[in-house]
Amino acid sequence: MFLALKEIRHEKLRYGLIIGMIVLVSYLVFVLSGLAYGLAQQNTQAISSWNASKVVLNSDANDSLSQSLITKQTADKVKLTTHEAYIGQAGVVAKAKGQAKLSAQFLGINQSQFIYKRVKVTSGHKPVTSHQIMVDDSFKDNGYRLGDKVTLNSTDTQYKIVGFTHNAKLSVAPVIYGTLGTWRTLSHVTTAFQASGIITNRDNFKTKTSDLSTLTMSKFINKLPGYSAQNTTFTFMIGFLMIIAMVVIAVFLYILTMQKLPNYAVLRAQGIPAKVLVTTTVSQALILVVGGLAIGAALTLATVLALPAGVPMSFNVPLLAGVTGGILLTGVIGALIPVKVILNVDPVSVMGG
Amino acid sequence: MSVLEVKHVTKTFGHNTNEVTVLTDVNFTAAAGEVSLVIGPSGSGKSTFLTIAGGIQTPTAGDVVVQGNGLSQLSGKARDALRLNRIGFILQAYNLVPYLTVKDQFALVDRVKPKGNLSAADLRHLLEKLGISQLTNQYPAELSGGQTQRVAIARALYQNPDIILADEPTAALDSERVKVVGQLLHDLAKEHNKAIVVVTHDLRLKEFADKTYAIMDGKMTVA
Ligand SMILES: Nc1ncnc2c1ncn2[C@@H]1O[C@H](COP(=O)(O)OP(=O)(O)O)[C@@H](O)[C@H]1O
Ligand SMILES: [Mg+2]
Repeated sequence: MFLALKEIRHEKLRYGLIIGMIVLVSYLVFVLSGLAYGLAQQNTQAISSWNASKVVLNSDANDSLSQSLITKQTADKVKLTTHEAYIGQAGVVAKAKGQAKLSAQFLGINQSQFIYKRVKVTSGHKPVTSHQIMVDDSFKDNGYRLGDKVTLNSTDTQYKIVGFTHNAKLSVAPVIYGTLGTWRTLSHVTTAFQASGIITNRDNFKTKTSDLSTLTMSKFINKLPGYSAQNTTFTFMIGFLMIIAMVVIAVFLYILTMQKLPNYAVLRAQGIPAKVLVTTTVSQALILVVGGLAIGAALTLATVLALPAGVPMSFNVPLLAGVTGGILLTGVIGALIPVKVILNVDPVSVMGG
Repeated sequence: MSVLEVKHVTKTFGHNTNEVTVLTDVNFTAAAGEVSLVIGPSGSGKSTFLTIAGGIQTPTAGDVVVQGNGLSQLSGKARDALRLNRIGFILQAYNLVPYLTVKDQFALVDRVKPKGNLSAADLRHLLEKLGISQLTNQYPAELSGGQTQRVAIARALYQNPDIILADEPTAALDSERVKVVGQLLHDLAKEHNKAIVVVTHDLRLKEFADKTYAIMDGKMTVA
């Protein structure tokens, strides 16, 4: 630690550059993971808030709620308990007088079923008639208020916002909760159709009807349009950034170590154990990475504070711990590459003359 | 009493047609309380001899015995410990860590070997004797060749080793400084009972030696 710190202090420019690299890489990794997590949440928040375990869809719907339609005839074959709820999904454009248009996901639900009961109200109340809706808080950020009359798509029917709910997002759009009747209107279907799908919170739920397919929530979420493609992209970017961080640290430390070999050879000749020199290199890597991470995290925080509320960036402790741990590990692995050189340093190499 | 014995040491480098024999059946003994001087021209095998004597290079044949320990019997770690605790090296080049001030060169020794080093007062005294006490906050790059060499000498002595192995310790020094260093090594032998081995081509050191050897083409003779 002594040698490590003294050297960093003496070679400020050199180590400043390395820290700068680590700051940039860790900043990017933080921001990307925040975005990835934020987007993933906005894809699934509404679904997560129901705390459900399985989704039942039309077996021809290719596991997509928005493509699924369940006829009344088929629906009647499934015996619903208090653990199941119908859901009707329709993509809509919401518009209120004097307000900007908002793309949203309309979800029709039944007042006597569990989703309706689980959804939490942040202000106002839950819709009780078919002309009432409850919308995600992000409508508020766009200027919508309780009591506003909203039209959905190009129909003339007005729906009154009677309540707001928090964290209701599906496929990165705010959710509008209303009745199944409204869903039928918006989807242009008759009462011959019951819903888009059935949500259950029973792990062991089964249906024998071949017209329907049941999938677990995690499978359903992975099949959300764009969801896994997005996640894969982010995972790739983050993974590559980690590898870049590792290579950068390894290359820098390797070059620095090569330059220091004559000094290390002298220290070895003086009987200083190779362990001390290895510890020096590894602790140097840790100091650089921890310093870079701290500055990167501070920059990320500043970015989060500066960004408008609409940018889907969010963090949680496991995510932050994972990213931080990953970069730290990366640094240590990077530092291990020059270790072999240090262990093999030959004191005789500097005798000369 | 002999603390360092070099017994029938031969050293060859390379293989087959490239084989060169740098040391041939060298026998040498250094005793506590004595300065032994090995004089030879450049390329005669002085540094090779000294590094083998100090255990940082292994002989092709023969062995080195330090305070009763045959070096060939010791593990790498044990040889490290022996160098750290018993042997002080004054090397020809690259003696100082470039990113440590003179003061910190000594602090580094304290970190690795917390016990048995010179006291703060003794160190101050040593630095004054060598005329480098005003340089403690300088980095090696800010020192002249002679100053560097004297700091390196002080650094090796700071570990308070029983055996001091010095490779051309006066190469960069003027005659005045040669006398100071020569006298210092002599006093260390006499007053502190150290065994001191100096290899050099500098004949100016002869007057401080108890025993003088000559080395020529890898063969050592008593001068
Ligand atoms: N590692 C080595 N490989 C091959 N030859 C070497 C090696 N080390 C030293 N030599 C040769 O051994 C001879 C003696 O070298 P050295 O002990 O450094 O002499 P001196 O210190 O007296 O100048 C030189 O000819 C040198 O080229
Ligand atoms: Mg030499």
